[in-house]
Amino acid sequence: MWRYLINRFLLMIPTLLGVAIIIFLLLRVIPGDVVEAKFMSGEGSGVSNEVLAAERARLGLDKPVWEQFAIWIWGVARFDFGISMWTGGPISEEIALRFALSLQVALMATIVATLLALPLGVIAALKQDTWVDYAVRVFSIAGLAMPSFWLGILMILGFLIFFKWVPPMVYTPFWIDPWQNMVQLVWPALAVGYRYSAVATRMTRSSMLEVLREDYIRTARAKGLWLKLILVRHALKNAMLPVVTVIGLEFAFLLGGLVVTEQVFNLNGLGLLFVQAITRRDYTLTQALVLLVAAAFIFVNFAMDVMYAWLDPRIRFR
Amino acid sequence: MSTATDIASVDTVTAADRGRRWSAVVADFCRRRPLGAIGAGVVVLMIVVALTAPGIAPYDPLNIDFAAMLAPPDAAHWLGTDAYGRDVLSRIIYGSQTALIVGFGAAFIGATAGAVLGVGSAYFGGRTDLVVQRFMDIFISFPLIILALAMVAILGNTLPNLIIAITVPMIPRCSLVIRSSALSIREMPYVDAARAAGYGHARIILRHMLPNVMAPYLIMLTSFLGQAILLEASLSFLGLGVQEPTAAWGLMLRGAAVEFAETAPWMALFPGLAISLAVFAFNLFGDSLRDALDPKLRTG
Repeated sequence: MWRYLINRFLLMIPTLLGVAIIIFLLLRVIPGDVVEAKFMSGEGSGVSNEVLAAERARLGLDKPVWEQFAIWIWGVARFDFGISMWTGGPISEEIALRFALSLQVALMATIVATLLALPLGVIAALKQDTWVDYAVRVFSIAGLAMPSFWLGILMILGFLIFFKWVPPMVYTPFWIDPWQNMVQLVWPALAVGYRYSAVATRMTRSSMLEVLREDYIRTARAKGLWLKLILVRHALKNAMLPVVTVIGLEFAFLLGGLVVTEQVFNLNGLGLLFVQAITRRDYTLTQALVLLVAAAFIFVNFAMDVMYAWLDPRIRFR
Repeated sequence: MSTATDIASVDTVTAADRGRRWSAVVADFCRRRPLGAIGAGVVVLMIVVALTAPGIAPYDPLNIDFAAMLAPPDAAHWLGTDAYGRDVLSRIIYGSQTALIVGFGAAFIGATAGAVLGVGSAYFGGRTDLVVQRFMDIFISFPLIILALAMVAILGNTLPNLIIAITVPMIPRCSLVIRSSALSIREMPYVDAARAAGYGHARIILRHMLPNVMAPYLIMLTSFLGQAILLEASLSFLGLGVQEPTAAWGLMLRGAAVEFAETAPWMALFPGLAISLAVFAFNLFGDSLRDALDPKLRTG
């Protein structure tokens, strides 16, 4: 067990390193750099080449690429992500502000998704190929089909037309005014949560269908056990693993993947920060963001593998 | 020995037989999976609309008419007009071309490249497999939209580049799935036989193994179709995808559609409906296809 865990843990490092190398190179392949983005955006800006060169030197962009990489990765290894090339502020601060917002929306969306997905998925599996099943499936496929950002636009539109009301567009931290904060963030959470719930519902349904065909369920029923007890104790417990995996992975993606929905609700979260960072060619900030999101994803994957190994001895002793 | 004629005759029999079987398969699919048949119907309708767009669109989608700015839906403009007085229905009709080109283009390239990589990785095994799979792990950890964003920033946002950008995040997802089916195929006697007969690696991979992962390949292909359309819409909405004045659904939701949402809600409503309906249809069809081809593959 320990050997497996340590192996699996160590495997995360090359993957993360790979992510770091690829995003580092990708960014340098994108035409233009932060200095150009800063000074050349206006037309005919009379900035001389010397000033540009000096600025590049100040940011360390004149060094060979491998040296830049070495400096950066050495910092990352000590959890020092450096300063933003655009604002000059420490990256950890730039990210922390937005991270709180994105994390909260992601958590709320997860709650929405779980509350919808578990009952719907279980009912659909129990009533397979009846109208209930069809209704749930159509509902969840529709969730996959509707762009979250469009759902967000529709929500705002609906409030405007029917209630003459718009959700607050200025972010209030939870610790300052919880009510104001919730009234603002619940809508994006719902818009994203619907799609999220669709993914989880489908997984719950198929996973339950598989488990319900197992011998031990038939045995339990033959014993005359109460159906509800069979469902909760025997079926749901065993069907949950893939569902939890999907929820975990979606959560990791939500942290950085809210890019479009944030625009609709005017949220200043990680997604918006990412778009800004990449259009401003803010290398250090983009790199840090990608690493953060990828690390979340890789870690969730690792945690899932550990859980599987813990629950399933066949994996543990492989 | 009349091997050649034997094979020929066998071929003609199966060809005729196959024709009959195909129609039977289609009829059976419609009867047993009504949802899938509806999805397939909508997809076919979309393709027809896209192909006949110049004939059925009531207006030129690029025609700016300031006299009819933000006109609500009426007899002249069934779905209203946008901030430039362009007919929304015509733009949606022409937008289906963009959506289908990007959808089919990206899904086909992504699934095919993923399949070749997956089968190749499984076939060679050992160190090659390990290296390829680690690479796939790395690319999978990138969030889909972020990878697409970076690709668009590098390549620039023309339509072919957009397709490539959307393809890149799909390849590793497909290769993982295909690889796991290809692993068992590698152990099949006919692969050994092909190797013993001295065929090259490329021939064994392309001619002997690829056709046998058709089921997962088709499943990935159909599920990518909807995702590609959604991703294109998202990128265009962000202003990083298809550029004005081209008609594209995601682009129609951008800017004025949100600004004038209260006075002209049709601008935000109908293009989004078009996206949803298209992706819905592709998913419905893809789901049923998966159930029909391989009930064991999980709904993800």
